[in-house]
Amino acid sequence: MTILEVVNVSRDVAWLPWAVQYFFLVGLSVACFFMSLRGLLRGAARERGFARDALIGALACGLVAPVALLADLHQPGRFWHFYAYPNLGSWMAWGAFFIPAYVGGLLVYAWAVLRGDLAAAGQGDGVLARLQRLVALGGAPAPRLARLAAGWTVVFGLLILLYTGMEVMVVRARPLWDTPILPLQFAATAVTGAAGLVLIVARLRGDATPAADAAAARWMAGGLLATVLLGLVWLGLGLTGVAETHARALASVAGHRAWQLTAAWAALATVLPLALLWGRPAGWGWIVGLLGLHAAWMFRWTVFIGGQTVPKTGAGLYVYQLPLGHDGLLGIAGSLGLWVFVFVLLTTLLPPSPPAPVRPALVPAE
Amino acid sequence: MSESRRNFLRAFGAMTVGAAVAAPAAAAPAAAALPSSAAPAAAGTTAPSPRWAMVVDVGKCIGCQSCTMSCIYENAVPEDSFRTIVSTYEVQEGGRTAMVMLPRLCNHCADAPCIPVCPVGATYQQADGIVVVDADRCVGCAYCVQACPYDARFINHHTGKADKCTFCAHRVEAGLMPACVETCVGGARIFGDLADPDSTVSKLVAKGDSKVLKPELGTRPHVFYLGLDDRLTGKVEGEPTLWRPRATESHA
Repeated sequence: MTILEVVNVSRDVAWLPWAVQYFFLVGLSVACFFMSLRGLLRGAARERGFARDALIGALACGLVAPVALLADLHQPGRFWHFYAYPNLGSWMAWGAFFIPAYVGGLLVYAWAVLRGDLAAAGQGDGVLARLQRLVALGGAPAPRLARLAAGWTVVFGLLILLYTGMEVMVVRARPLWDTPILPLQFAATAVTGAAGLVLIVARLRGDATPAADAAAARWMAGGLLATVLLGLVWLGLGLTGVAETHARALASVAGHRAWQLTAAWAALATVLPLALLWGRPAGWGWIVGLLGLHAAWMFRWTVFIGGQTVPKTGAGLYVYQLPLGHDGLLGIAGSLGLWVFVFVLLTTLLPPSPPAPVRPALVPAE
Repeated sequence: MSESRRNFLRAFGAMTVGAAVAAPAAAAPAAAALPSSAAPAAAGTTAPSPRWAMVVDVGKCIGCQSCTMSCIYENAVPEDSFRTIVSTYEVQEGGRTAMVMLPRLCNHCADAPCIPVCPVGATYQQADGIVVVDADRCVGCAYCVQACPYDARFINHHTGKADKCTFCAHRVEAGLMPACVETCVGGARIFGDLADPDSTVSKLVAKGDSKVLKPELGTRPHVFYLGLDDRLTGKVEGEPTLWRPRATESHA
């Protein structure tokens, strides 16, 4: 029997590129935050530069991500409904509480571990120096507050990873999303992208060091290898039919040439940075950094936008064309522009660290 | 009470006669037009809540899209969006070709996946089984749009809120049929109270040969299909339609 679909409805993408930006930025933020913990809390001087850059990445992404999420609402002015009428059976409702808890904790943690650097940077008489001293509030180390805020942020960072994964995973109506591995894939690609971001931040700030690059490379290699492993498990479960959800997910896209191309692209986006990390040719930091960011962003674009082009009832695939306006290209560029603004603000307040040997740890090594 | 169009027209006739009498007496004939289970409630007495459902006899559907159009006009559905549509397929088998119609709409599931995901509780199920959206509360997050396995929901570009078929709840409350039922040329759509064993929908469903879409998901839809091929109950594996309005324009 052959069926030709003559008339059917073509549904628009309802989660816009703003959603891709949110999941991308919040994933990067949480992963960057975790990368910053060792260097900033344990006080190993040679790890501090990497950790500071990671924390700047975490702050910039963490402050921009909720804006992107708000923009994805079709009624952004009603965001307060999340708090006035929460339906706690919904993962998205929990996310509305996790986001401010995480961002708030991140800000307190950042202030506690960087206030000494702020005070040191604010030694002059200029407006900026006065602002730095004002924000530093004296600049005395606050190890207890740093640990408390770090602990709080670790908990809510993990909850952010959990809820963002579960929110998508529970959607049974979309077989591509309804796989238990998806939250882990989000986390692994977030680590990959975050390591790439730290490499880029270090180069933008001009404080890249071999030690910091090596730390970023280790995180990225871990993220990439985890992504490859999870991808193979996903494919294996789908091909063998051991897990029905994975078989349904694979079947929903496997027959389409566009998705075959996407799979090949994803494999290349994972293997190429791994190869570059192995060989480390000249200028590898920029290339691998951008490739890591690309891998994280592309994964989310494929899951969200690509996933919504698979009809739930109809034949074939829906056609998606990226609009040029606020719900498309302008939204992507706008969130990137906001990120650049926040990054400039942060790096103006926090100039690059002095060389590692003279850099004291805020918290004594234990 | 049977809610077929014919019976409805009989009730409508009673209402018309009633409208001619003096105003104080107008309430009684108006109640005669209500579906039977709704009428006692309107009169202020307690009665079991109806459970509205629809039976679609695909063999009677001629694919005229009258339901699609009447729904658009009744509910001010914006351009390029649909609360209901008749999916139309050309099926070839054994040297024969036939057109198959499949009217689609919200299934008003007993276990509707769109309800638990709503972060602000804007989507809920009325006592009569109709799944509705509280437009004053909806934040337009589109989570329900993602969760609906039947692609029955969408974000209304004019209102910025989730939109869907309501079985024309405003008409049903007034004792009228949903617009799609009233305008169905072939009488393919039959609406009524599944809680009433004497209703047409109850009798049709009780025969046991009706089907629902995607039964494996356990959503317990309350739109039942008569004469539907199993190969069309899920995601239709066929050649896609050529008509893709979004392929040539953007709503940016």
